[in-house]
Amino acid sequence: MTMTLPVLPTTVTGSYSMPEWLKRAKNDYLQRRVSRHDLDDMYDAVRKAAIKDQEVAGVDIISDGELQRDNMIDYFAERLPGVQVDFGSKRFYYDYYDSTVRSKLATGALGLVDEARSLRVLTDRRTKVTVSGPHTLVKRIQNLYYPSEEAFALDLGRVLNLELRELARAGVTDLQIDEPYYSGFPEDLPWAIRAINAMVDSLDAHVTLHICYGNRYGKPSWEGSYRYLFPTIAEAKVHAISLEFARRGDEDLQLFNEFKVPFKIGLGVIDVKSHDVESPGVVADRIRRALKILPAERLVINPDCGLVHLPRDVAFMKLAGMVEGTRLVRQELTR
Amino acid sequence: MLVHFNQSLQTTRPGVEGSRETFAELSGRVVESLAALLQQGQLDQRTLSRLHIHLDWIQYRANFRDPIVVRRAFDAAGALLPLAEIAIDLRQVETLRLTTMLAEAQRELRRRPVPSSGPVEHAPLVLGEYGPLRDSVIWQFNRLFWQRLAEWEAASGQGFEAALPSGRSDANHPQAISDSVGDFWTLLRDLEARAQLPAEIFALEVGIGSGTRARIWLDRFKALDEQCGTGYYARLKFILGDYAPQTLDQALAAVGPHAPIVSVMAMDALNPFKTLSFLRFKILHVHLTNVYDNMPFDELVRRDGRLYMVETRPALSAAAAGQLAATLGVRVDEIPVLFRRLLEIGPEVFEDRTRGMSFWRCIWSALRLEERLRAIDDGDEAHVPSGLGREHIDELLDAAPHDVRFQVSRGAAESFANTLPLLHPRGYLQVQDIFVPAMDDYRQGFYGPGKLDGSVVSWVNGALLRAVGARAGYDVHFAPFRYRPGSKTMMLYTTQRD
Repeated sequence: MTMTLPVLPTTVTGSYSMPEWLKRAKNDYLQRRVSRHDLDDMYDAVRKAAIKDQEVAGVDIISDGELQRDNMIDYFAERLPGVQVDFGSKRFYYDYYDSTVRSKLATGALGLVDEARSLRVLTDRRTKVTVSGPHTLVKRIQNLYYPSEEAFALDLGRVLNLELRELARAGVTDLQIDEPYYSGFPEDLPWAIRAINAMVDSLDAHVTLHICYGNRYGKPSWEGSYRYLFPTIAEAKVHAISLEFARRGDEDLQLFNEFKVPFKIGLGVIDVKSHDVESPGVVADRIRRALKILPAERLVINPDCGLVHLPRDVAFMKLAGMVEGTRLVRQELTR
Repeated sequence: MLVHFNQSLQTTRPGVEGSRETFAELSGRVVESLAALLQQGQLDQRTLSRLHIHLDWIQYRANFRDPIVVRRAFDAAGALLPLAEIAIDLRQVETLRLTTMLAEAQRELRRRPVPSSGPVEHAPLVLGEYGPLRDSVIWQFNRLFWQRLAEWEAASGQGFEAALPSGRSDANHPQAISDSVGDFWTLLRDLEARAQLPAEIFALEVGIGSGTRARIWLDRFKALDEQCGTGYYARLKFILGDYAPQTLDQALAAVGPHAPIVSVMAMDALNPFKTLSFLRFKILHVHLTNVYDNMPFDELVRRDGRLYMVETRPALSAAAAGQLAATLGVRVDEIPVLFRRLLEIGPEVFEDRTRGMSFWRCIWSALRLEERLRAIDDGDEAHVPSGLGREHIDELLDAAPHDVRFQVSRGAAESFANTLPLLHPRGYLQVQDIFVPAMDDYRQGFYGPGKLDGSVVSWVNGALLRAVGARAGYDVHFAPFRYRPGSKTMMLYTTQRD
């Protein structure tokens, strides 16, 4: 289903607010105090609630909230054929499993297609599915087989490409690849982009590459400037890159004056590491500042990163503020 | 009867000053006295079978306990429970009177828990109601002390640091500070190599004392920077935080030539983020010394699988109350009113301030906390510090000895949680203090509170801080303070949790 989007379309970066009771249930599941069946029931309920909240807030392109994912690594490590996961290696859901690759990755379905289909059953909005990128996965899955991180990442790109193609075949129009580790390892960028290109090869969908400074435990993992992305990032065969500007300030927007890149920009206008709710006026002002550098046709409006660490009421109000702030600017553009 | 030896850390120490008895010999005397009481019929078998005897060794001689105390247990509704404890501070107890005192404790156990109305001869003078330690009047005394430190020091004739067990603060150890600077400088070099060094380098010290540590730290940092030609000193923004303006003024004077790069900020150590929120994720180095051990806490007890809150009420022994009244020329029954006034307005409670200072110092010295144990219901969460869940306490208990008494260092946990959001992604927090690093360590000693001059001091539950840190994305580590042999302080430091 392809729906026409307004100028300055709004979207989420992926995850929605994780309720405290769900965190406890996830921990209890690891301690075998909650069954898989019960946990899946809970996921079903929070998925529907997350979708409803995004719809009510007025977001144009929504996700399923991703609350079934413990973190951005384990969800994929568990599903990647050939990655061995030590399921006894964590007590706290948010920790990472010890996972290892000891032989060449096999080819197989990761299960994202079923989730995407169930999302599309639950909403009439345009939907997106996010996937952790090869560089990020390489940094957390121990490699005991491939001769280099690059070789591992390229093969991950191959396997993930098959899943993305299946998603596109199933009608998913918007895909997002998350690569927060770029900012911690800028020296890896050339091969990391090659892995992205392997991942999106021959893919018929709108692909956004999300690059932030990390949101682990609701705090940044690194600091610095996006300058390290340029000019290499221009080689990425994606349609958009989504960056965080709300928390860090928009000084780096000037980089788009300095370097010409072909894609749209996902403009982070919501600080996901703060409980302070941005007013529509603040959001509108952030968009107006970006419009001085980039045309509206090249902007997508989104939070800096996932909303998973925010309380639900805060997450909802932030999304509503983002939507309303965007509407204010759209009105100005049509005058 | 269960005898708890809460003392293994001190087994090699000598006993009471002036006595040649060791801890082992003192412990033996307790058992001998109890056996004698049993033989004489002064202790009945039924009471004995339920009795817990705790042999403690309280590090701070000035504390809130009599040498022998009786604790009784109540349920949430106030009904008496069978659990009873006699706790003996072997460091203070007079061995010649041990049997007599234990007999008195035994009589106390048999007495009705609610005192009869009207004055009772030799009864302590009770100065307040039972409640959790976090709400105790000792924190009002503590606040008064820090607000009126100069007056207290003038009255005592010595500076606060002289009251420390070693007579000086480990915070100012030059080699320790030099190594701290070296570690920080190494971090800056690494950040610079990755082109991630911020234009402004923020460092924060909370609980600054006289400013001596900050001065030594800055001297060393500047020297190292000049020696290596790195140019970091010019980018350094050093913040001193304390809630007392006079302390900040004193510290600013102490940093001398570094004053241009130093900012002093009045802040509540419980919530540095509130004052410094504009530096969220920007501070590369945070240091605190002897701050957490001076913050409100609760104590929990687990006995026979059941959890209890330690509740206390302030009191003076009858003898101390009588002596205080005689010294001040007031009646004993006037003391509670004067006590409350002192906490409200300070030594001006008497027209003659010297007399007021004397009252303050004497009543603080004599102040005791009577204890009782209040059972915690399954649904009760009042013992859980804000920002944590009951499951965190349960997790601590999972790692604790079966029978355990431990601190819930609420103030320290709150301060810690409200400092971490200031840290730059590569930044770290160092805390020098007295920690109990793991729950299992509570098996090895009694870590109850003491009096440090006019302030409160208590060990800090390191396992609790570890739980707080993990939730906020930090691993918490503890290392002994290796620069002074015998130092009880430890270094807490954080690393990013991936």
